[in-house]
Amino acid sequence: MKKLLLLLLLSASVIYSQNSTGTIKGRVVAADNSPLEGVNVFIPGTNYGSASDLRGFFQIKNIPFGVYDVEFSLIGYKKEIKEKIDLRQSAINITVILYEAAIETKQVIVSAGKYEQNKDDLSVSTTVLKPEIISQKNIHSFDDLLRYVPGVQMTMDQVSIRGSSGYSKGAGTRVLTAIDGVPFYSGDMGDIVWEMIPLQDIERVEIIKGPASSLYGSTAIGGVINIITKTASKNLFTNFKSYIGTYDKPSYDIWNWDDRFRTFYGLSLTHSNHYKNLGYTFSVRKFDDMSYRQNDYYKRYTAYTKLNYLFSDSSNLSLLANYLYSIRGNYLYWKDSRNALLPKEGEEKNKVKSNRLFLSLIYDKKFSDSFTAQLKSSYYRTKFDGIAIEFTTSTANLFRNELIGTFNFSDKLRLISGLEFSYTKVKSNIFKSPDYIGTGLYAQMEYNLTENLILNAGARYDYLKLDTLKGANAITPRAGLNYKLTNDLILRSSIGTGFRVPTPSEVFTSAGVGGGIDVIENPNLTYETSLSFETGLLYNYSKSLRLDAAFYQTEYNDFIEPNLTYTGDIQFINLPKARIQGLEAIIDWDFVPQMFKLNISYNYMWSRDIEREKEMKYRPRNVLYTNISYNHYPFEAGIDFRYWSKVEEIDDALVEPPLNYVKDGNRRVPVYVTDINAGFNFFIGSLPAKTFVSLKNIFNYNYVEFLGNIAPPRNITLSFELFY
Amino acid sequence: MKKIILTVSIILLLLINGCDKGIEPADEITTPTGFKGKVTFSENWNNNIKRTHLVVFKKPINKDEDFFPPNLTFVIDSIPKGTSQFNYNSLENNYIESFSIGQGEYSYVVVAQSNSPELSLLRKDWVVIGVYCENGDQTKPKKLIIDAGKISENINIDVNFNNPPPQPPGGM
Repeated sequence: MKKLLLLLLLSASVIYSQNSTGTIKGRVVAADNSPLEGVNVFIPGTNYGSASDLRGFFQIKNIPFGVYDVEFSLIGYKKEIKEKIDLRQSAINITVILYEAAIETKQVIVSAGKYEQNKDDLSVSTTVLKPEIISQKNIHSFDDLLRYVPGVQMTMDQVSIRGSSGYSKGAGTRVLTAIDGVPFYSGDMGDIVWEMIPLQDIERVEIIKGPASSLYGSTAIGGVINIITKTASKNLFTNFKSYIGTYDKPSYDIWNWDDRFRTFYGLSLTHSNHYKNLGYTFSVRKFDDMSYRQNDYYKRYTAYTKLNYLFSDSSNLSLLANYLYSIRGNYLYWKDSRNALLPKEGEEKNKVKSNRLFLSLIYDKKFSDSFTAQLKSSYYRTKFDGIAIEFTTSTANLFRNELIGTFNFSDKLRLISGLEFSYTKVKSNIFKSPDYIGTGLYAQMEYNLTENLILNAGARYDYLKLDTLKGANAITPRAGLNYKLTNDLILRSSIGTGFRVPTPSEVFTSAGVGGGIDVIENPNLTYETSLSFETGLLYNYSKSLRLDAAFYQTEYNDFIEPNLTYTGDIQFINLPKARIQGLEAIIDWDFVPQMFKLNISYNYMWSRDIEREKEMKYRPRNVLYTNISYNHYPFEAGIDFRYWSKVEEIDDALVEPPLNYVKDGNRRVPVYVTDINAGFNFFIGSLPAKTFVSLKNIFNYNYVEFLGNIAPPRNITLSFELFY
Repeated sequence: MKKIILTVSIILLLLINGCDKGIEPADEITTPTGFKGKVTFSENWNNNIKRTHLVVFKKPINKDEDFFPPNLTFVIDSIPKGTSQFNYNSLENNYIESFSIGQGEYSYVVVAQSNSPELSLLRKDWVVIGVYCENGDQTKPKKLIIDAGKISENINIDVNFNNPPPQPPGGM
């Protein structure tokens, strides 16, 4: 009997000892939910530890039951400690997100100057956006992202930086949008199709506020938006995203034209990985929006590929292909303010079909520590067919090549120079069928005069010839300085020139827009020039409070604007002189560090058509953006408020007798828009996932960004993302 | 505490501003808007005249381009040569279909003649022969005031070919 008892006790002891250890396992991912390999995972004060594998998974076995802190660290990332993990079972699963240390130290890198610089070393105002904001705000198209950027104004789908543009139905742009530094605008209209920007593959967005013609040429007279795409994931990475939403009913019963809920949805699938030296990313997306207005629907399909081949540590080749097919209703103006969500009579079935293909090839070669070269080639084919009473069509093929050399003569002196050539052929029944040749040659030098003072200066020469028009020559110099008065107070100043050649659509458009109004060509249209000055400061009051302020002024000569002629037609003309002056202030305050952030930006802008002694059209004098965000893993939330003062000048001739083309079109108000969003990060098994809900225009405030076009009413979006 | 007050203040500011509904639909207007009256001619017509129109301008004419749209707001049908009295109504005698006149104040209403057979858009092709004015004083143009949903009546102009009014800038 004693032997039996002893045996039972021994057995129990063995069973107990077998169950007294457990495993801590899980996954480590980055802020964008891509897996992190090689993360050091250990329990301080013990010998227990491990490292994450290719897909971010880790496990530490045979740990005695107990309560432990587990530390996660990886070079370049902020250390994370999971405290008081109570191990009382065979396995515990934990998941961790590591954030880049660069974000903490604010060492934000910007390459819009055609080489990588620290943002704090720049001589012009710059905003850098990180991709997290896209999920947080449930953004489906890049232009919606720009609506939250200080100093940037979206009028419908047209972007303006510090008042550089009014509204011209997409014809011409004064802001150069580039993907990885390769310009991305169409050959005929010079417009940007925001839906083609690969939101799912954005590493960061750099916004240069001020003319950059000295580096980028004609289109950059108002600034640059440079979208940097991600390098392909080192490990298998797939992202699935879907969203669905609906517009609320209109504020007034007489605006309610459809009893159904007007909905929108989208799907995207992105896959990224490496095979030996080849990195690849593939993505497909679909968007469908019924719209809150009649005949304002769209259906869009995009396909995106980025391939990167590493020949060696000093040379690599990137290929980016981006395709869009879209079909959409062509809503131009409301019928009148009593029928604010219906198009004008006769325009109920107008639609536009578009096909666009953008290809870019970038070859980087580092010849030595002091010399690097880059070749950028691109091809952009755009085609649209407008189906209305008049059939309109245009196909444009734009070829572009640029060779960039970066010379590092010493730690203090750097020279960036380049040569650019582009050719565009347009075939259209409304823009004629012109061809367009552009060449440019530029050089910019940066010199660290002292440890605290950086000087830069440069110039660009351009020759552009648009079909039968006389060729245009332009030299655009600029100079700037950045002076670090103390570690926390940085002064910057720059002066620069810009120029812009009219696009084929601005010169040659000859088409009816309805109501007996025609757009007519203006072969005498000449290029516009500008002289800009900016001075600003960056002040870090404390680690959690940061102020950026700037004064800016731009003088334009021969500014190109659409105008109603005395014959009652619309024609692009040169305004002799225009001037824009302004003040911009941005405050970033982490009022509860790591948890609550407040961002306030205010822009005062005074724009004048000097000849007519009037304000320039569609430029609000006061703009205020406010954001409060909360971030405490796994929860995220935010509230945004946007205010524009009432736009002082619009196209009066379109809304007043005799034409009265847009009835009640002079109805406009200040803009007050409030959006809220909330999100939750979680794991499905070991797969990171997130869900966000956003409510936009929560007070259902009725406003217009452009005459006769009511902006979206209150709408709600629910999104879901899965990473594996 | 200060942080909370600031946060609450900002949220309140958003709420207060957001309570306004913004753009509202215009009131429904069921009756037409316009003007009517008569043009009376004294003395003999010039045989070379090809066109005679009553025209409405938003603002006074200070330079050549003010003579045309968008300052030129409305054009009444061409008045037949030799007419001694012409009764018109803006709803029935709108010469340019794409033009419409609405509620507002219009500073300069005149009768003008042209020797051009087509509707010319050159200032030099036109001469003003009568002005809507105060007490017959053609040097003092009277404002045409139109209210929404109403027809302004008695917008009468007397034309004396032998006593033309002062000409606005430009012209022949």
